[in-house]
Formats: sequence, structure tokens, C-alpha cells
Amino acid sequence: MSKSLSEALREERRARLDAAMAKEGFDVLAVVGNPWRSDGLRYATGVALTEGHAVALLERDGATRLLVEHPMEAERIAAEQPELKVSWSASAVTEAQRLLEGGKGKAALAPRIALPFGLASTSAAAQSVAASAMLDRLMMRKSPAEVEAVRRAAAMADDGYKIFMQAARVGRPEYELVADVEAYYRSRGCPDNFQILGSGGVEVRGMHPPGERRLAPGDLVTTELTPCIEGYYAQICRTLVIGEPTPAQRRAFAVYNEAMEAGIAAVRPGTTASAVAKALNDVFRRFGLGDYVTSEYTRVRGHGLGLYADSKPQLLEDVNVVLEPDMTLIVHPNTYHPEIGYFVHGDSLRVTENGCEVFCRTPRELFSVPVH
Amino acid sequence: MRRGLISWSAREVPASVLDARVGRLQAAMRAEKLDAVLAYTCFSQPASVTWLTHFVPYWNDALVVVFREGPPVMLAAFSKRVQNWIREVSHVGEVMTAPNLGRGAVGLLKERVPRLASGAGRIGIIERDDFPWTVAEPLVEAGWGNALVDATPLYAAIRQPADPAEIGLAQHAAGMAGKALDALPSNAGKASQSLAAIEASARCDGAEEVLVRIAPDLTKSAVLQRIEEDAVLGARYAVQLSLAYKGVWVRLVRCVSSGAAPVSWEAARRWLADAATRMTAANVASGPQGSAPGEVAAWSVEACLGNEPLTVIAHGGSGSARTSVSRSLPAGALGVLNVQLLTKDGPWHGSVPFVLGAQGASTKLLA
Repeated sequence: MSKSLSEALREERRARLDAAMAKEGFDVLAVVGNPWRSDGLRYATGVALTEGHAVALLERDGATRLLVEHPMEAERIAAEQPELKVSWSASAVTEAQRLLEGGKGKAALAPRIALPFGLASTSAAAQSVAASAMLDRLMMRKSPAEVEAVRRAAAMADDGYKIFMQAARVGRPEYELVADVEAYYRSRGCPDNFQILGSGGVEVRGMHPPGERRLAPGDLVTTELTPCIEGYYAQICRTLVIGEPTPAQRRAFAVYNEAMEAGIAAVRPGTTASAVAKALNDVFRRFGLGDYVTSEYTRVRGHGLGLYADSKPQLLEDVNVVLEPDMTLIVHPNTYHPEIGYFVHGDSLRVTENGCEVFCRTPRELFSVPVH
Repeated sequence: MRRGLISWSAREVPASVLDARVGRLQAAMRAEKLDAVLAYTCFSQPASVTWLTHFVPYWNDALVVVFREGPPVMLAAFSKRVQNWIREVSHVGEVMTAPNLGRGAVGLLKERVPRLASGAGRIGIIERDDFPWTVAEPLVEAGWGNALVDATPLYAAIRQPADPAEIGLAQHAAGMAGKALDALPSNAGKASQSLAAIEASARCDGAEEVLVRIAPDLTKSAVLQRIEEDAVLGARYAVQLSLAYKGVWVRLVRCVSSGAAPVSWEAARRWLADAATRMTAANVASGPQGSAPGEVAAWSVEACLGNEPLTVIAHGGSGSARTSVSRSLPAGALGVLNVQLLTKDGPWHGSVPFVLGAQGASTKLLA
């Protein structure tokens, strides 16, 4: 019987992890996670956590023990992956501390961003910088199977945007738009999606979770959709207008589109995250909008995609990570525009041997939906 | 990440209610001689900050600092332009942008608790063991390692009973969850159809978050699974819906049969309601009482006592791993009772949210 994609991914990642642990001289790797930051845990074990904290203890080329904090999670995960030794207790951190202190060999802990206070004094935590860098390297450059998952997620993002456009109608509250998209994704077997949006005019300075505001004629409606397949996220950012776009909105769109295309054109192996960010920011500067590419108005100019929706590397002019083939990214020049408000536009892509492959197929347009 | 409605209605949760909750914490802090309490929040550990301020992070993280007097101060790792949104959805004193929460906390505590400099101050941290080291490290480097005490028991002691506002949100959440389960298509052949129906109903009603586990075929397995892509539904299946409304979580379960529901399921529903009604603060750790129409394979009682929306208070059952967890709950506490029975017709799941009765009074069921 052929392996499922999730089994194939799990085995492939574990083999890469064992090889990396051997290279670093780690005998045991403790991977910590929670439902917010579960990317390291998912990479190492394939487990998608839904509640509580978890710590996985991986013996190099050996067994994996998973400590969780809820009996229902323990039962579920044990059924999903019978090869894991799963147990639950009131505190996974306390249990992990006990096991790490009694363990043998060189232990390391990752990712550092999820390192809890209760494990900070263990010897494994002393190796957390090296172990986190190891995990980052593994997660940034994707295998063919991982790339395929991101590609499928990007297709899901395209499909979801069509549903979003159908949902965006005058009088509907923002949260109903998200309800339509989420219901669609569940109907397609997509278990998770990160989505924020904005609606209104020049007063809108960013995106947020859906609120109770009802769409009105003339609104600019922004969204970023981030569905996942097998835990791998891809993203699309687009903006639509309720009714006919104004000349100012059309002019602004032209700037953002040119910036995104400049950023995408800059993506190739050997260049840096900084160079990509600069390529798209230079377009804004050329149009006299340089103030709006600063942290006052925007967070990042794109970011990595993978088992976390906002993975490394961030695309910023001060980030010098060198791009490598099979990194997956979104390039998005999202920021505030003084004439029309917050505007978003972005596509997911893969770095190839000599450039990039754009995954998103949704046209690069300023979309318009009818008022009635 | 949270993706449903996030908003604050002062009609549902008046500012005075949030002030009173902060006041409860401050009274306990004064008794324990704590100068400040740190409450961390992120998508997966939001509950204490939500209870104190109504804030629910959809992404990123924040740290709420409660001093002995005055409104809480929020240090938010979100970018500055998100501050207006934070103020719209929460009730908090100052909101400070702090890309590095730990360094931000050091600056604030130096200013507000000067006696820390002489080694005399005490800072409580709710769920200190789970507190992110990236936030704690600057506090330790400031020389305050010994001043950082675990405020988990102190917070748990004041977190319950629930106030009427929280019970109102839970009642509303339970109603939404029940309606979403009523929307399950009667002829669903795949889990994706059930999941889509639940999402559409719950989110259009204003759910903040929806988590669904499904046991797709009860004749094969009683395990409630996270559905990654899809699953074929058998003639009998179970759907567990965990739903959040404005920071308050409930769980409900619906067992579905394609034909007439087994007689034992109705008996199980009646037993669960009766057993839950008879729980009290004195016996809650013992689990559901009374003669069940089948073997109680697993049961758990959950409530919010810290940063997790629902924490296991007590747990047991014939099929359960031996794990010793037993906390107490006062009368008036908001909780959820979950059970898995093995009836003569196979496995059956049930969950019911409740407000725990005092000695001699019935526990109130919210669904």
C-alpha cells in the first residue's frame, strides 16, 4: 500500500532531523510547542496540537516520547500515530524537566522561541540556540513533498479568494465573510486557515480579526487568506472595492502591483531577503511614498511560508538571510496609502534554481464587486 | 490563530465587571505581598488576560502587568498601529508597544516598583513554568530572578466562581454550539460536510473560535479525532464541538445515528444530565455519580483556572490511563463535564457545560 502524504512527510522529515542531530552531536532533542507555535513540533513528530502545551523527546535514530496536557489530546494522538509513546499530565513542562534531568547523552531543546521558564535551567536549554538554528535550516528549505504541500495550499488560497469575493456584499458584517470562507475550507478538507481583513476607507490602517462592521458602498476590503495542507501554509493577499474603484484607488493599485512584481522579480538564489524588500520598497519611494514602507505603517514586506503562517525569513531591508532554492515565501507590499487607506497585494512562491515559481493564480487585479 | 468575531460589548461585559475581577486579583496580591503580577497572553494561552481585560490575541503576544493599585498595563508585541484595535476590544489602562516584551516589562517594573532595585520586590507570574523564557530572560538578567514567584495558585484561587457576565457568555456560547450541532446534515457521508455546516452556523452567529473533533465511525473507534483532510462517516458517529464566544469556551458533543438512535443513547443523555446536576463543590473531583447505563470508560471535569481556556480539574474512568489530576472548584464555578460511555449499543460521548451548585443546591446546566 502506498504511503499517504502525511506519512511520507513524517518519515522524510524525521530522517533529515536524525541526520542533522548526528551532525550537531545531539543524542536527544526536546521539541516544545503549543497550538500557536507548533511548527517545530509538527516538523519533528507530525503532530498538530490543538490544546495545551506539549514536549516531544526524540532520541536520535530512536523512539519519540510525546508529553501532552489533556487526556483527549493524548488519546487522539496515540490513535493517529501508534508509534509515538504519548502520555498526559497536568504539566508537560514539569514532566519533561524530570525526564531531561534523568536522561543520558547530549540533549538539546528547540525552538528557542517556545522555550518555557520551567525548562530554561535544563542542560538541553543551554543548547537551544544551536538546536533552533538547526531546526530553522531544516524548515526553511523545503523538500519536494513539502513544496507540493505548499503548492496545494496556494491553490486552496486561490479558491478561497473566489469565495471571499462572493461573500463580500453590502450590509454583511465582516465576520460573516470569514464564516463563508471557513465553511468552504472545511468542505474542501482544509483544517486550518489564518485570515485577517479590513474594510472601510482612508481611516483603515491595517487588518485585524473580523469585527461587526458591515460592508458599505465604496469600501476597500482587504484580506490575507492563509490555508494549509498537511500543516503547510500558503498565503494570498488581495484587495477589492465594493462598487467601482475610484481613480485614486486605481492609481494606488498600480503602485502596489508594480512593487509586488519588482519584489518577485528580485527573488532568486543567492540574493537576500533584504534585496527583495528593497526592490519593492524602491517602487514606493519612486512614487513619493517612502514614509509608508517604514514600521510606522507596515510590519514586513513578506515572509517565509511553511508549518507556521509567518515563517522565517522575514522580508525586511535589515534581514540578510540568503535565499536558497526551495524556500517558499510570500511577497506582499502591504501598507497604508494616504489617499485610500490600507491596501494589500501578495502572492506565494518558491525559490527555484534560477528565479522563482509563483504559486498563486488569482489575477493581479483591483477587484470590484457590485453594490447591489 | 483566532479567525472568528473578536469584539467587546460593554452590555455583555461591563467595564465595572472587568474592574471587579482586577480588584479580586489585587486584593489577593496585597495579601501575598506581591508588587505586581504578570499575565502572558498568546493564541494558545489567552485565558487569564481575557478574564482580566477582555483582550483576545488573534496572533502575536502581549503581557499584562497588574499592580497592587490602578488599571492593568498592557505591553503588546503587536505593531503600534494595532493599538486602536486593542483599545476597541478590551478594557485596559495604558497600552504600550513592546516588540520585546521582557525588555518592556523591565522598563515598566523599574519605574513602578522601585524597591526591586534593593532586592525587596516580589513579582508573581501566572503559570510561571509555561511562561516564555524569551520574556522572562530580561527580567532574570535584570537581577530579579529570585523575585519572580509562581502566582498560579494565587490566581487559581480567585479565578472562580464565575460572575454573571461570564456565565452569560457561556450560556450564549452553549446556545450557539447547540444550534451548530443542530445544523449537522442528516445525510452527511463525509466529515467535511459536518465540519462545514458547523463552521457556517457557528461563525455566522459570531463564534470567536471553533474546534471540532469527530469519531467518524463509532462501531470501529470511540476516539475523537482531528480531521486533517476528510473521513468517511459511519452509520453512527460523534461530533465534539468546542466553541469560544468572547473568550469563554464550552464543549458539547452530539452522537449521530443514520437510523433511529439507539435506546441506550437517550438513557445516557438523561444520566449525564442527572449526574451533572448532582455535582457539587464537595464531590466534583469524584466525577459523575449515579448508575450509568453502561461502563464509564472516561470522564473529565474541566474549568478555567489559569491561562488555558479549559484545564482538567479531575479525570477518571475504566479505560483511562492512571494520571493523578485533582483540583478543587468552588460553588458557582463554570465548568464542563465530559464522559465516554460504553453502552450495549457501543460507545457514546457526552459533554455539558455547567455552573457548579453549592452544597444542597443543584448544579445548573447550560445546555
